[in-house]
Amino acid sequence: MRQALVLAALALLPGIGQAIYFRDKVSWQSPIPASEMVTVAQARAWDGNVIWVDARPDVEFERDHVPDAVPLNEDRWNELLPQFLATWSPEKRVVVYCSSQSCNASREVARRLRGEAQLKDVFVLQGGWEEWLKSRK
Amino acid sequence: MAEIAKVKFAWRIIDLVVGGVFIYAGVVKAFDPIHFASDIDNYKTLPWTMSVRLAFYLPWLEIFCGIALIARRLYVGGLSLLTPLVLIFLVATIAAKVRGLDITCGCFGHASQNWNFPAHLTLDLAILAALLALYFRFEVRK
Repeated sequence: MRQALVLAALALLPGIGQAIYFRDKVSWQSPIPASEMVTVAQARAWDGNVIWVDARPDVEFERDHVPDAVPLNEDRWNELLPQFLATWSPEKRVVVYCSSQSCNASREVARRLRGEAQLKDVFVLQGGWEEWLKSRK
Repeated sequence: MAEIAKVKFAWRIIDLVVGGVFIYAGVVKAFDPIHFASDIDNYKTLPWTMSVRLAFYLPWLEIFCGIALIARRLYVGGLSLLTPLVLIFLVATIAAKVRGLDITCGCFGHASQNWNFPAHLTLDLAILAALLALYFRFEVRK
């Protein structure tokens, strides 16, 4: 028991250090800051000024997707990113979606687009593809 | 005598492998705690505020426990922390599967992203079995 407590305490030190280092880079209260989320209605209101990015696996994209959506998933990131960037332009907003509210692929793709591709105006679709389907009915 | 040495050597290898697996898993996640926080959150069992804090803590706990197994310092402490950790993770993975959640386990960062459920389960069970074996051996030798 004492040994376990020592190890648990030891692990706290670098953990706290790292948390302090990341304090401004991480959203502590919610997985995605409200400013980075968008509802289907909001995204639709942006009309032609949006690039829809489908972060789901290829099979699901091929089955069905938001009209004009571009596939960009983490499995084929290096291959698909240039294709996406070819359609991107600075005045357009990017809306990333995955299958549902519980998936995190859209969050990850959005994060990588902001971080690695240095894009601004990248949003995550609330409720993902499921929500899009509901709004279509 | 040679037989005893061989058995000792085999147990030592298990220590090294299990310890190494946890050090690797911890380091990969410590490099990208935000990604790991998303992975924990995906299980939908904890609030985000807790997931994100655990994401900064658990990788280091794995690293220290892994080192404890390899260095044989605080050995039983390492085993008694890692065993319930793996068990909780196993239950959470099965529960997520039953609830139909679309998750990546996050156990080895991006390296495990494309693993399917049976692969996760097999690895987790193998690690759990190894940890339990090491624990019982330690108790027997006391």
